[in-house]
Order: sequence, then structure tokens, then C-alpha cells
Amino acid sequence: MNINDFDLKSISTHIEGTEDFISIDNDKCNLCNRCLVICIMNLWKKREGKIVLAEDYKQKCVECAACYQVCEPGAINFQYPAGGTGVVFEQG
Amino acid sequence: MKEYDIVIVGGGPGGSMAAKVAAEKGLKTIFFERGRKPGEKNSSGCGLGPRMWRSWPNMMKTLTEDKCPSLRAGRFARNYLVDKKGEVSAMILARPTESVAYEPAKSFITMNCYRSEFDPWIADLATNAGAELKCSLLIKGLIKENGTVKGVIDEKGEKYMAPIVIGADGAVSMVAKQSGLRDKWYHDHITLVPQYDFYAPREKIDLIMHEEALAIWWMAGGIPSAYQVFFGDGFHVGLGNWMHSWERNPLYYLNYVVNLKHFQRTIKMLDAKPREVQAHLLPWMPYPEKTYANGVMLIGDAAGFPCPLEAEGIFPAMESAEIAVEVAAEAIAEGDYSENKLKEYERRWQEESSIGTEFEAGPELWSVWKALPFNAKNMDWFIPMVSEALTGIFDWSEPHKVRIRQIIAHVKKYLPQAMPTLMSELVPLFTKALEDDMGKLMDPAIMPTLINSLPKLMSLMPDKKKKRRRRK
Repeated sequence: MNINDFDLKSISTHIEGTEDFISIDNDKCNLCNRCLVICIMNLWKKREGKIVLAEDYKQKCVECAACYQVCEPGAINFQYPAGGTGVVFEQG
Repeated sequence: MKEYDIVIVGGGPGGSMAAKVAAEKGLKTIFFERGRKPGEKNSSGCGLGPRMWRSWPNMMKTLTEDKCPSLRAGRFARNYLVDKKGEVSAMILARPTESVAYEPAKSFITMNCYRSEFDPWIADLATNAGAELKCSLLIKGLIKENGTVKGVIDEKGEKYMAPIVIGADGAVSMVAKQSGLRDKWYHDHITLVPQYDFYAPREKIDLIMHEEALAIWWMAGGIPSAYQVFFGDGFHVGLGNWMHSWERNPLYYLNYVVNLKHFQRTIKMLDAKPREVQAHLLPWMPYPEKTYANGVMLIGDAAGFPCPLEAEGIFPAMESAEIAVEVAAEAIAEGDYSENKLKEYERRWQEESSIGTEFEAGPELWSVWKALPFNAKNMDWFIPMVSEALTGIFDWSEPHKVRIRQIIAHVKKYLPQAMPTLMSELVPLFTKALEDDMGKLMDPAIMPTLINSLPKLMSLMPDKKKKRRRRK
């Protein structure tokens, strides 16, 4: 078994909520790429010179908030998703 | 609008402990958990330190396997040193040593369990004591009047008023942010910790890891040191580093560990299957910042209390919970919730708790960890040098006299890289740790006893260059 073959989504559980809880203000973004490097679920992409968040992030985000924490210009806004939704750590 | 004596944001070990102690003091208490139950959000399998059994013996007696099936006593830990080729080059076993003074610390270093079971257990103690728990509810903001926090507001707009709000809401603390105590962490005060959890049959772990089930530490060049911690029916493997230390995706480093030949062998032997992927932020800092404001106190991870060497977080979270609630009860009795009154909380954790004692040497301990286990570059000399020095003599490739020369020559090669780091990390640490006893240790009165007990050095030296032959 090779861990690189893991489908990360298959080993995480989500209760998808309706409201957005992460956003980026591209006017503040300085394109440092730290969010791209740090997200273990690869939810940040660069498209046409702009950082964008994956559309299906609500089904994948593990709510570590690393992108928010690492963003020095404060372009990434992060709040926890609505109570009872989002990632579920069954073992924790 | 509902009114309470004390509102606690967060249902982890710190928040639940605070709720339990507050309810036991007869305070009208509510605490909030954004997950459907405590322990299902941003937590990770944990090691409970033996100090918990010393500080709260009656409470800890009730933590049994039927309530928490994932419990596994971590008596010994294996430390694997991995060389540049990805081979295990040495293994060191760590267990409670002779100087460990009390039970149960003599029996285990950590009691491992999953937070999905531990957190509900402690939250139940709080609700049984009379605290109210609301789950599946996110607290969105603080209610402030004239610069003083007066309560909290939930995601539905419901208000919960209380003269004291305790922020037990972890590393990404809304309470810290909105009370003005912290916007974001400094990048070298917070780590990111990705983890994989694996299922493994209980009996396989019993048989193969036995008493060595605390953890396997994987120290390898090019990655921050990783841990593989064992629980009732599984284990997790993870590693952490400060925010700006990740040059590549964190899973790149974690996958490197999992794909080591030796790690793959543990997976096969234990019949393990990947079960869950997790990641969380973990404060890991030289000294906590301010932990109180008007009407507010921060405890646990929200306050930055995980220990500066190994980031043990649960014990300090629960200890700070107790202190914060004591101060809250006094503040309520006096009707004074000002910053000026609540700074007593900071004084107590600094001067009268193990958190304060731990952080006395915080900058030195933090620096050692940063320079060694989490410094991928320093591992390049640390691992071959330590492996050589500790295990090089157990070898049949040459006569042992020749081996000793080879080992010394080899270790010497790494010294120019090693010495500056070792000296600049260890001298300040030992000086700080021994500062109270330095005079006693250097006491001239004990020197003659020490010197007299040593054999005369010259008489120990064998004759130089004299061929040794059978005695006639």
C-alpha cells in the first residue's frame, strides 16, 4: 500500500453546510503562495494570476485554519462553519 | 437573552473542566461546542500526562475502558533514527526512569486515548455537576459594553449574558480575537500538525507493540520528527512544524514517513488500514502572551499553554481552567470583573501553577525543540552522529580497538556542525533549569568528596605503544 495513492476524501467525513465560511479578498492578496503550499487538502489554486478557493471546499476542508493563519496580508477570511456541520473527526 | 454567572466558549478538556469546576461552586454555567458532540472537531488523539492522576485522583479514577475504549497505557516509547537512505540506523527505548518520583508516572509516560471518547467523558462530568452544554452551536461573537465583555452571541443571534466569559476555544480562538488579546499568532508561535489515523486490531497492537505502545518517534533527515502514537484499536502518525517552516505541502513530509520501508513494515505487521486524515493548529511558543481582559480569561490552547518542549496540552488546559474559575468565583463575589481584578488569574498561573514553572524555562525549551527535532537540516548531522556514538561499538567488522578509532574519527567529522548548535541550545537550558541550585552544585564543600571518590587518572592510563602479550 502506498500512501500517495490515498484518496484523502475517502478517509474524511463531512456534513456539508450551506453557508460559506472561507473567502479571499484578492485585492489584499500579495500572491505569496503560502496558502497553496500549506493546505493539506489542496483547496487553493492559482488561476490566471489569481488565488482561488476550490468550489467544493465545503466537502473537503478539515478546518485547520492554516490558510487563514499563514496569510500575512489578511486576505483570507476564515470562520468555523455552522455548528453541527463541516468535518467530523470520528477518532479525533 | 439568557443570563449566567459564567459563559465558557469551547467544549474541549479545558472548557469542560472549567464548566465542571464552576458548576460545583454553584455558579450558573453554560458551555458551548460547535461539533455535534465534544471531541469531534479539530482535536487529535492525545496523551494524558500522569500529573492528571496526581492532581485529580478521584476524577481520573472514573476514566475507565468502558467509557473510553481507546485507552492505552504508553509505558515505553521507541525512538527510531532514520538515515539519509531511509533506513532505521538506531533505536532508543525511553521508559519512566529511576528518578521519576510517583505513581502512576512510574507506570506510564502517557495514557493515550482518542479525543472523540475523552472529551465527551469530561463534558459529562460537567453536565452532571449542573453545567448546561449546548452542542452543534457556533459562538460567533462577544457582546461588549464600554470595552468590557458582557456575554456572547451565537450564530442564530441568541445572546448569553455573563460577567465572566472564558475563552476555551482553542488555537483559532474567536474570544482571543474579539477581546483584542490576539489577532493572529506570530508565525513561530503556532504549528500545523497533519495526521493520518490507522485502524489496527487491538490484539495485534497488544502483541507487537506491547509495553512499547506509547509511540514510535521517527527522526529523519529532511523532515520534522514524526510520531506514531498507539491507541486501543489503532494508531495515528503525524508531524508538526511552525507556519513558515513548510517548504512543501505538509503531507509531502508525512507521506515520506509513511512510505519508509520500516514504517510500511509496521503497517503490515499490525494489519493496519488508513482510517482518517486530520490537521490542526497547535500553539507552541516560548512564553504565552496576555491571557485576560475586562470580563475575559483565556485558558488552554487559546492561551498558548501547550508545553514549550513537547506541546503537552491537556493538563495545562485543565489546570488553567481550575485557576480561571477560582478567580472568576472571587470576581463574582466581589462584583469586580475588571482587567485589574482578572490579572490575578495571570499571576496565579505564572506563580502558583505548573504552567508557570514550565514556562520559566520556556524560551530555552522551545528553542531546543526548534533547533533539533523540528529542524530538518540539523537532523542531517544529529542522526548519523548519535547513531554512531551510541551503537557503533556493537559491531564485528573489525577488532573493537579499531572500531573505537573509527567511531571517534567519524563522530569528530560531525562536530564542527554539531557543537555550535549543541552549545548554544544546551548551555542556556541547563543554566536556566539549574539556576536555583547552581550555588549548591558548585559548592566547594562537596568537591573533595567527589574528587576522592574518583580513581587517579594517570594510573588508569595503559602503557603507551607497548605490545600486549600473554602474562608469563
